[in-house]
Parts: sequence; structure tokens; C-alpha cells
Amino acid sequence: MKISLTVNGAQRAFDVHPGDTLLEVLRREGYKGVKKGCGAGDCGACAVLLDGRAVNSCLVLAGKADGSEVLTIEGLSKDGALHPLQEAFLDEGAVQCGYCTPGMIIASLDLLTHHPDPNEEEIREGIAGNLCRCTGYTKELRAIQAAAEKMREARHG
Amino acid sequence: MGLPSVKEFVRPGTLDEALELLRERGERAWPIGGGIDLVLFAPREVETVVDLGRLPLRYVRENEGRISIGAIATLREVLESPVVRDYLGGVIPEMLHQVASPLLRNLATIGGTLVSANPWSDVITLFLALGADVVLSDGKTRTIPLEKLYPARALRATILTEVRLPSSARESAAAFWKFSRTAFDVALLNCATFVRMVGGRCVEARVVAGGTPQLGARLPRAEACLVGSGLDDSSIERAAEAARESADVREDRRASADYRRELVLVGVKRSLHEARGRLAGGER
Ligand SMILES: Cc1cc2nc3c(=O)[nH]c(=O)nc-3n(C[C@H](O)[C@H](O)[C@H](O)COP(=O)(O)OP(=O)(O)OC[C@H]3O[C@@H](n4cnc5c(N)ncnc54)[C@H](O)[C@@H]3O)c2cc1C
Ligand code: FES
Ligand code: FES
Repeated sequence: MKISLTVNGAQRAFDVHPGDTLLEVLRREGYKGVKKGCGAGDCGACAVLLDGRAVNSCLVLAGKADGSEVLTIEGLSKDGALHPLQEAFLDEGAVQCGYCTPGMIIASLDLLTHHPDPNEEEIREGIAGNLCRCTGYTKELRAIQAAAEKMREARHG
Repeated sequence: MGLPSVKEFVRPGTLDEALELLRERGERAWPIGGGIDLVLFAPREVETVVDLGRLPLRYVRENEGRISIGAIATLREVLESPVVRDYLGGVIPEMLHQVASPLLRNLATIGGTLVSANPWSDVITLFLALGADVVLSDGKTRTIPLEKLYPARALRATILTEVRLPSSARESAAAFWKFSRTAFDVALLNCATFVRMVGGRCVEARVVAGGTPQLGARLPRAEACLVGSGLDDSSIERAAEAARESADVREDRRASADYRRELVLVGVKRSLHEARGRLAGGER
């Protein structure tokens, strides 16, 4: 079957098997920033924004995304400039092996878009579905706090 | 990965179309809300996926204190809805914050969650305690208590369209309690309680324990200890003891039956104290 998606702002049409997951389709089409970890909703490595909300793309049947907007990690930077979340993850040293990072940043983006000024507990809950085997989460927490601040400043000019 | 047996993915725009598809295709057609369980458990017989995501069932509404939630509202949409924020002291968002992860709550629908009958379900445990009804349609519409949905499980060519919660009478309160190893793991045990008081006496009580590891179920012997009482410490104590004795707890890879039996006692007690505190706090 054919589906059409807007991926990172670009209109795309894909030929998919009706039982494919969105994760399979995105990776097949070259969006390799979307990672496969568990394939079962446990790790969050596969997170993408689907119509503005972060979901586990390993559990979304591709047909469900037909006509939707998808944002992957590849679509976050603008004209070569990193998104404040990406910058903050680098600045705070919140990336080690990096496998969890795309999903972690997508989940954080959902959080900060809907709650621009989260407290520590809200940030922890916001990334509760994203496993990281390297960092111990403290640096991610700091990175998300730093990004939140930058994004609020940018908003208020 | 994915569902190799699936030959067809359809997204009907109306309930009639969806039911027609389910009737026509028979057992090989499965409706989905979020589709999480379908992808995870990948039943081999499924050939047609009927995505309910385009049906006009995405809402959370209030009418004279009663709440209606459309089947395809996501857990996130329910969690963030102003309509449920103050219902019975905010017990619904309190529970939903403890369900899975934000990523999964963006995907899981209330209809799929209730029909899935996953034994660890926190949503089902609380909604049983709240006395929820569900609206089912197979062409004809009927409303049944959520409790009645489970014994009758096989929903053939039937769609759950809406869940309804009764108006929260004055002097009623509810509480939810979940015990798990990590914030994200499913419950080793969950429980929910609801009480309604008239003139200082309890006239209605529901006590539910779930993840036992079976699906949430009411504990009538515990409820009987509460009705007629003033919800004093000793009747709460008796109810918690009765819950421990009567809950059908078992062992699985997460916990032993003995451990769960103690959890039932603690959970019911804490949840009832919490509910009583909410009454005293003057919340609805
Ligand atoms: C890693 C993980 C952790 C989780 N942790 C928890 C937790 O701690 N607590 C908790 O409560 N839940 C938890 N869940 C969520 C829960 O287990 C289910 O996966 C989820 O609620 C299913 O929702 P859905 O909309 O995707 O259902 P679907 O997969 O869409 O549907 C489930 C079933 O219901 C049928 N169906 C769907 N909608 C309808 C309808 N409207 N009418 C008739 N039939 C229908 C489908 O055919 C299917 O059989 C967790 C899930 C995962 C993956
Ligand atoms: S790969 Fe999707 S949650 Fe792990
Ligand atoms: S940086 Fe390695 S898993 Fe998170």
C-alpha cells in the first residue's frame, strides 16, 4: 500500500507492506537516526514526533501515520544550526555511546513544547520511557534544563 | 518485526463502515486504537487491521458531572483534559501519571486499554472502582458496566465507543495505589478504592485489586466491612484484612503470592486512608 507522510517538513510517498511499523519504514527510507532498541515499547530509542507528540515508532503501524507529520532527529537542526536541545546535550556531556540520544531528545522536545518550564520531577517523568545504559541520566537532566532555559529565552526574544 | 500476516490496513471514517468491515472479514479482522498490543502480541490470524483512529470518538466531555470519554482519546489526552482534573480529587491524572511512559501514553487509547484486559492494567483497576460503564456497538448500541465486559470477553464485530463515569456525588472520594519496582515497570500490585458517605456513614464502597497478577477485580468482603461504617481506623483495618484474605493472589516472575497478599493489605489500607483524607479535605 502507499502512504504519504511529511517527514521533517518534506512531503514523501512510500510503498509499504500493510503490516510494517513506522520504525521499519523510516529506517528503510534512510532515516537512520531513528534507532531500534527493544522493538517493544520499553526503551524509547525509536521515538519520533507524530503530529507533534512523541511516540514509540516501533509500535506504530505505518498505515496509522498516513497523512501525518513526522519529525525525526534528522529534522531538528535548521540550516546547519543545531537545535538548543542538541547543543545542550553536547555542552553538558549528555551523550556517551549516543544510541539513546535521538529518542531522548525527541521525548524532551515533546516535553518542552508542551511544558516550557518543567521542574526536575516533570523532566524525569518526561523521559521515563527512554533508557540510557551509559550516562546515568544526570547529565541528560541538566541538558534538558539548560535547553529549556535557552528555548524560553528564544521565545521571549 | 511488524505483522507479516497483515494483508490490508483500513481506516474507516464512520462507525458503520468499521462494523461492516469487521462483520465482513470475520475473525481475521482486528480493530485497533493505538495498536500497541496488536504489534506486540502479533496474533498470526490477523489479516485486516481496522484502524479506528479516524472515527469521531476522540473527546473527553462532561455533562452534569458525568464524564464521557471517546474510545480513541489517548491516555495523554485524558491525562491533560481539564474535564478530569478535579474529578474525585484528581484521581484519574494521578493514576495516569503512573501508567507506562509519556511516549506510550501518546499512543495508547482508552478504548484499546479497556478492551485489552491486560492483567497489569492500572486504568482498569481504577475505572472498576469508579463504577465506569462502557458503550458498545455492533450496529445496536448498549451500555454495560465495565465489570460485565470482562467475563463476556469475546467482542465479536463489536466496537467499544465510549466509557462513562458517574457524576461524583458530594461526600464521595476515591484513591489509587500502585506498587512497582521502577517508575516504568508494570505493577506488582495495584489497587483502587471508592467510598460514598451520607451523614458520616459509608453507603457505597468499591475496593479493587489488580495485577495480582490477574486482572483487577472487586473484593466484596472488603467492601462489606466499609458499608455502614463511619470509615474509622478499625473498619479500614478490617476491610484491609478482608482484602488480604479474599484477594486471589498468585505467583509470577515478578513476585510471590505471599508477598502479593501483604501488598493487598497495605495497598487497600493506604488507599482507603487517602480517600478518607480527601473527604475530610472537603474535596468532591
Ligand atoms: C512497555 C509497556 C508498558 C506498559 N505499562 C503499563 C502500565 O504500567 N499500566 C497500564 O495500565 N498499561 C501499561 N501499558 C499499556 C497497555 O498494556 C496496553 O499496551 C495499551 O493500553 C493498549 O492500548 P492501545 O490503544 O494501543 O490498544 P490496541 O492494541 O489498539 O488494542 C488492544 C485490543 O483491544 C482491541 N480494541 C482496541 N480498540 C477497541 C475498541 N474501541 N473497541 C473494541 N476493541 C478494541 C484490539 O483489537 C486489541 O485486541 C504498557 C504498555 C507497554 C508496551
Ligand atoms: S525500539 Fe521502540 S521502544 Fe525500544
Ligand atoms: S548514551 Fe549510551 S545509551 Fe545513552
